[in-house]
Amino acid sequence: MDNTCTPVITVFCCTHTSTEGSPLFPDDVSGADLRIIRLACTGMLKDVFLLRAFESGSDAVVVLACPEGDCLHSEGNIRAARRVTYTRGILEQVGIDSQRLVMCNIAPGDAEAASQALRHAAAVLTDTDGGLS
Amino acid sequence: MIVGEQKSIAELQKIIAPYKKILILGCGTCTKTCFAGGEDEVATLASALRLACRKNGTGISIEELTIERQCENEFIQEAAPAASRNEAVLSLACGAGVQAVARRFGTTPVLPGVNTTFIGVLERQGIFTEECVGCGDCRLALYGGICPIARCSKKLLNGPCGGSKNGKCEINPDTDCAWQLIIERLTALGQLDNLRTYIPPVDWRSSNSGGPRKLVREDHII
Repeated sequence: MDNTCTPVITVFCCTHTSTEGSPLFPDDVSGADLRIIRLACTGMLKDVFLLRAFESGSDAVVVLACPEGDCLHSEGNIRAARRVTYTRGILEQVGIDSQRLVMCNIAPGDAEAASQALRHAAAVLTDTDGGLS
Repeated sequence: MIVGEQKSIAELQKIIAPYKKILILGCGTCTKTCFAGGEDEVATLASALRLACRKNGTGISIEELTIERQCENEFIQEAAPAASRNEAVLSLACGAGVQAVARRFGTTPVLPGVNTTFIGVLERQGIFTEECVGCGDCRLALYGGICPIARCSKKLLNGPCGGSKNGKCEINPDTDCAWQLIIERLTALGQLDNLRTYIPPVDWRSSNSGGPRKLVREDHII
């Protein structure tokens, strides 16, 4: 990765993973430029959303879903996991390291787990060939 | 419905390599239902190909459009302006749709983006199974609505082969034995005697083996 550039990480997260008034993403996490996209449920996530995030300049994409068995909409997080797996396959086919797409199940308001997921994504960027664009 | 599967990104990249401006044309009927060629798949493929081309350092312009059906001129004409703006059309329809679009746009290359696989049904969400081979001589009434040609691995018409185990085919244990299903179904219908009738070898001339087929409905010709 070009150390002079700030990596861009797009985060798709379920609104239920963050609670009102408690910031889920501290500013200093990962040192990345975060683009947060909140969804009513990660079950809304489509393959194309993830791909377009990479197309629009993201170096990594993180999906934060509720823990399995704890989805307000029954199984949105499970569906999201399947789409993430499918999209990883597409990324490999187009020559992008699929590790750049990270999915984590975190409990509502668990800022530490969210930070860990972002640090993990940032670590992946240093392990791979860095920026995409 | 006709079931198909999108080609790999690598194969599609080779197919579109000669062109710098392409239209990815989706079909909103069969291939949409089997997740191979509807609006979502068009968008996903377009994004994937743009990423792949960026990675390879090759520039490409991709336009996206999905029409209701690619096997009918009435709908194909909606794609004419978009087709004329591009060097080639990558169709995500079945083979019939690709050819119908190619016929309509005589000077624009129309490329297949989907491998058409079979006529089938949605068994459950995400799982499609082959149920018909289009033989042109339907005998489902005799077999209780279960086709031994499409669903028996050996296409036997006069009873099971004897190789099935626990209701599964000896060719593939994931496949139900069609003859087990036929016998269970005919028993439930009280029509097991149907199987006392000897069925002679199939005359395949009514199938694709007799050459390309054509259906003419004089009453609908204008």
